[in-house]
Amino acid sequence: MISVNSAQQHSWVPFATVFIALVLLVIPAPELIRGFLPDWVSLVLIYWALAVSTRMRLSLAWLSGLAVDLVILGIPGVHALSKTLLVYLAKHLSLRVRAYPLWQQSVVITLLLGLELILFAVVDLVATGSLSELHRWTGVIVGGLAWPLVYQALRRSRHFANLSR
Amino acid sequence: MVKSRDGVVRGLGPYLLLSVALITAYFHLPPVRTVAQSAAVIGIPVHFFASLPSTVLQAMQGHLTTTDQLRSDFEAMRQRNLILQARLHRFEFLENENARLRELLSAIPFQAEQVTLAALIAVNPDPGALAVMINKGSADGIFQGQPVVDSGGLVGQITQPGLFHSKVSLITQEDQAVPTQVARSGLRAVVYGGGFGRPLRVLYLDRNADVRAGDLLVTSGLGGRYPPGYPVARITAVERNLAEAFMTIAAEPASHLGRDREVLLLWLPAKEVPVPDEQPDAQLETEDDDD
Repeated sequence: MISVNSAQQHSWVPFATVFIALVLLVIPAPELIRGFLPDWVSLVLIYWALAVSTRMRLSLAWLSGLAVDLVILGIPGVHALSKTLLVYLAKHLSLRVRAYPLWQQSVVITLLLGLELILFAVVDLVATGSLSELHRWTGVIVGGLAWPLVYQALRRSRHFANLSR
Repeated sequence: MVKSRDGVVRGLGPYLLLSVALITAYFHLPPVRTVAQSAAVIGIPVHFFASLPSTVLQAMQGHLTTTDQLRSDFEAMRQRNLILQARLHRFEFLENENARLRELLSAIPFQAEQVTLAALIAVNPDPGALAVMINKGSADGIFQGQPVVDSGGLVGQITQPGLFHSKVSLITQEDQAVPTQVARSGLRAVVYGGGFGRPLRVLYLDRNADVRAGDLLVTSGLGGRYPPGYPVARITAVERNLAEAFMTIAAEPASHLGRDREVLLLWLPAKEVPVPDEQPDAQLETEDDDD
């Protein structure tokens, strides 16, 4: 394969951003704002699925999800399932969503995160019979609102990594 | 991008199947649980970076304290230690007396629990739950459902042991319930968690039950999960509504809920196994002990 870009590509950058998102996920926060924090890993994975849709592999999404499950000592497979589904949908929508203005992208992201929450609630309902997961809807809204920031930050990292499509 | 139904089956299908299989196996096959506990060690580097800010802050605080401050702290601790020592002697005396009286009543003897100290890891293990993480895991003999206390009282229980670290669900979490009794009157009540930023609740207490604000609730030992006698919560508000059969009671946790740097893990004594030589100083007990 002949690379059109002569500059070197840093394909480790997406992995690094997922790692940073994992760290942010478990970083200690005051109890008051803890319920409002979005799932950073989902946001990062959705970004890469939108921006480099053909390169983004479902296996990376699945492994990231499994990493989340193991890091938060949850039920292994739950986040793996939801992250794979999110990335699949984002890849599917990428051509359309990339053309949207940022605020419209935010709406799509909110819907995607909401879908993930519903998935968690279903697993929780089957596994433990409770619906307590649905209390986290605030994180979904904040996730949508935080999207422009996440987008800008990750776009810089993508330009640094010299990755496209 | 043209994706047919084939794309879903080939692309997404295997991952979904794998995830569902993993979740199902986790609930139905015990070895999978053990493997997951061991695999959780990959979280340790993530925890390291997440706890770095707090660790650095603590270290800086340590460097910034002056010798004078340390000296006065030390003096305060020495005095506190003296007081606690004196109280402990009295406690030992009472414990022996209690054991003797229980023997006279031919009740089951009260046995002390074994404890282990664990440090908190400055991470927030589960974004959606009230939980803390400690630096002891199944490699140290930690098991699921183990009670966790601190200097104030009951903190919670281990809900997910990993190999070298474990998740502790706090009693304030919504799905947690602790069987307790009012220290003043012995009235039994169950304390339920309230969730983020909400007080603990005491549910299903009869309208004319003997409870007031300020009462201390201690673990009753019923249910077998938590040992008896540990402070759980202090009642802050009691609301009697004539239209309802039960009272509305709010309470605040007695422990510091993971704000201490260390917690204690309890091992409940094995049941039906009296250990006569555990208290060598209790001479009176040996009189009618059968060997």
